[in-house]
Amino acid sequence: MRTDALWVEKYRPEKISEVLGNEEAKATFVEWLQNKRHVKKAVLLYGPPGVGKTALVNAAANEFGYKVIEMNASDTRTEKAINKVAGPATFFVGLDRFSTASKGSLLFLDEVDGVAGREDRGGIGAIVKIVEESRIPVTMAANDTDLEKIRPLKKVSTLIRFQQVRLPLIITMLRRICAMEHIDAEYDALERIAENSKGDVRSAINDLQSLSEPNRVLTLQDTLALSSRNKDISMDETLRGFFSAKSFAEAATMLSRSNVDYDDFLLSVSDNLPRRYDNPEELAKAYDFVSRADVFRGRIGTEHWHLLRYFFNYMARAAAVSPESYRPFDFISPPIRIITLFWTKGKRTMLENICAKIGLQCHVSRVTAKNDFVLFIKAILEKKKSNSIVTWFKLENEEVEYLLKMNKF
Amino acid sequence: MVLNKKAFKLPRVERDIFIRLVRLGLEYDREQGCFSIKSYNNIEKLVDVISNILGDKRVSFLQSCLICGSDFPCQGCRYFDLCDTRNLPFHCVCSQCLTEGKVFE
Repeated sequence: MRTDALWVEKYRPEKISEVLGNEEAKATFVEWLQNKRHVKKAVLLYGPPGVGKTALVNAAANEFGYKVIEMNASDTRTEKAINKVAGPATFFVGLDRFSTASKGSLLFLDEVDGVAGREDRGGIGAIVKIVEESRIPVTMAANDTDLEKIRPLKKVSTLIRFQQVRLPLIITMLRRICAMEHIDAEYDALERIAENSKGDVRSAINDLQSLSEPNRVLTLQDTLALSSRNKDISMDETLRGFFSAKSFAEAATMLSRSNVDYDDFLLSVSDNLPRRYDNPEELAKAYDFVSRADVFRGRIGTEHWHLLRYFFNYMARAAAVSPESYRPFDFISPPIRIITLFWTKGKRTMLENICAKIGLQCHVSRVTAKNDFVLFIKAILEKKKSNSIVTWFKLENEEVEYLLKMNKF
Repeated sequence: MVLNKKAFKLPRVERDIFIRLVRLGLEYDREQGCFSIKSYNNIEKLVDVISNILGDKRVSFLQSCLICGSDFPCQGCRYFDLCDTRNLPFHCVCSQCLTEGKVFE
């Protein structure tokens, strides 16, 4: 396994000719971009993931001297947010437009089929308005154009369809990377990686990088462990793959493939690190990386998903502190916090019920009942267990017992 | 039947069908009397209509090799049965270049 930068980044196309496959789509896009008198002001590139839509926009912008202003699914795309970012960008012509090197800006809205729900309310309408009023080229990308919600976008856009990249093209590209990385690989191995990618170039490159090792021929046998590309790797499988990673890149690839809950994963890694590293210094170093990853998880919240790469980066570093010290361990425990929540679920439900009853009688919220009432009711009950408030609140015997034995919550 | 995507001839068709072909993305060159493909977005429907006109269910287009530039039909490809995109794009890598292990420049 190579330990240098991720190959998907290293071999990211910088020219249009380097974007693999979809020649007709590329030609149509370039024609649209070069034509000043567009019939429609926007272009909508659509097709399955990993076929080069975003790569083409960036490569074309790079080749023709456009500055890309991008909004993708990781950004909140409400009407207000879109107007704030894209509005000025499309209405005002930048000064760099008058330099010979730059042709100005190009607005790129990636994954527009993901603009939906309460978070992105009004987003599609705002995009249509921007397309109609824009003075710069507007490019959009989507995986699924059959969705009803993006019908208004299809009306104002030139549609360009992308297809899955074919096997022979992916195999040829993998061969080229192997040649540049000085890797010997059997044809059957490359064929299997290409088949497994299901037309997704990005995942094919990731698989090649994770399987290849220096001074060793990549064989078909090595590729048999490849999981199908459906991101349904379980938490246990992800943790085992993560802890046994032989390098930073392998751990990063494993994380990018898995679809586990990141919070649970962070807790699981944190709880299992002492089983992984015996050396205190290595353990401290690993915990340092996990804490940094935790900081980024906090920053990501529910919308800043563009920071996910930093989360992956630090987590992968935690796994790769000392790859040579890995010894298989039988038991990977689930996060202690989750186990605690599981064991205390009955008690928490009991308290919730008590608070609900108090809230109902006192006309307060459950939170207020919990914070301002429960302790006083406990004190009253401690003086006299069969108090009339028990009847008034309609508390059950076990609820009274719970309140009396309760220490804190 | 394998057609050349740059220019191919069809038997004379009724007005409605001709309009449908044009709407689906064909372009007609009156001087040459040949059709060519202008838009690729509805290629599957286009192939269905052309198949009906020609009375041949196995209509496909010639592919161009991205490495050597030669034109070749899909039928000889070892991945023919696995391929989900037989008609579009019109560019691929020919069997010879694949066998010889040639790569992109």
